Amino acid sequence: MISSQMLKGTLEGCILKVISQKETYGYEISENLRAYGFADISEGTIYPLLLRLEKNELITAQYRESPVGPKRKYFSLAPAGKEELDHFYSSWCELENAVNLLFQKGEP
Amino acid sequence: MNQKTRELNRSNNALDQQISAENQEAFTDMICYLRGAKISAYHQELVRQDLTEMVLSAQQRGESIRSVIGGDYQAFCDNVIASLPPETRKQRIIDFFDTVCWCLSILGLINIVISSDAILLIRNAIIGKPLDFSMAVSLGSVISIGIIIPAAFIITSAILKNSFHIEHIRGKRIKIFMIGAGQILLFLLIAWLGQKILFTVNIFIACAVVLAFYAAHKLLERI
Repeated sequence: MISSQMLKGTLEGCILKVISQKETYGYEISENLRAYGFADISEGTIYPLLLRLEKNELITAQYRESPVGPKRKYFSLAPAGKEELDHFYSSWCELENAVNLLFQKGEP
Repeated sequence: MNQKTRELNRSNNALDQQISAENQEAFTDMICYLRGAKISAYHQELVRQDLTEMVLSAQQRGESIRSVIGGDYQAFCDNVIASLPPETRKQRIIDFFDTVCWCLSILGLINIVISSDAILLIRNAIIGKPLDFSMAVSLGSVISIGIIIPAAFIITSAILKNSFHIEHIRGKRIKIFMIGAGQILLFLLIAWLGQKILFTVNIFIACAVVLAFYAAHKLLERI
């Protein structure tokens, strides 16, 4: 299982990636992340992050009718979110390279 | 509470009815906790709408609120609160005066209705005796209002902030009983000591003051 501390900095970027694929809602995002191996990611885990992304204008939200009654919030990527996603991915690649290099070539 | 917030509040009240009994307690605790947070009433209702949708969808899938939110409801609420824009100082001041005006209008009306002068006035009007429209305001009434309003603020704030620890409060029944009994004694003392008449006022002017407080409340809640 990925530790919560490790997840903390990366989850927002991963949520942006899921939203960039198609307009989606909270439960679908959590299911999508779980399918990719992010265990124990409930809707409650990502809801505060979605609120923060929305507040920072990285995503936009739209309420639509849902089969259960209350309107469901659908999220899509805002232009600033696209930039943030690119920035996250390049940072992640940089970090991944550095960590891989350390573990492969570093002293035992 | 402005029009947009009031409409959202009404639709949320209707939706809440669909939440099952097993999920209701945790859901209510979370909403109470959010009510005590320094976020706008509009954001409180927006979050409430989102949470209702989350819980009702979970119910349809046969899942509980715990599976959606996780075990720590308070941590979830704290994360939600931290992710929302805080209520501005201006809005907090408006909310404070709105509540004070509302409380003063209600307490003022109660004091008019239960005053012996008002009862005497109605009795005289019925039996056709000469009418005296003056109403005495006692020191006790003024002190009581001065205690009730801050006490209401403190009690409400304590309940909202401790909504997840209500079991802990239930365990202190004797302490709560003692506090309640002490308050009753305090009010009886005020009623006994405060019979001194501070001033008299025309009952129509008293009603106009109560109406003015109510109008101020209605005005402030729309801002």
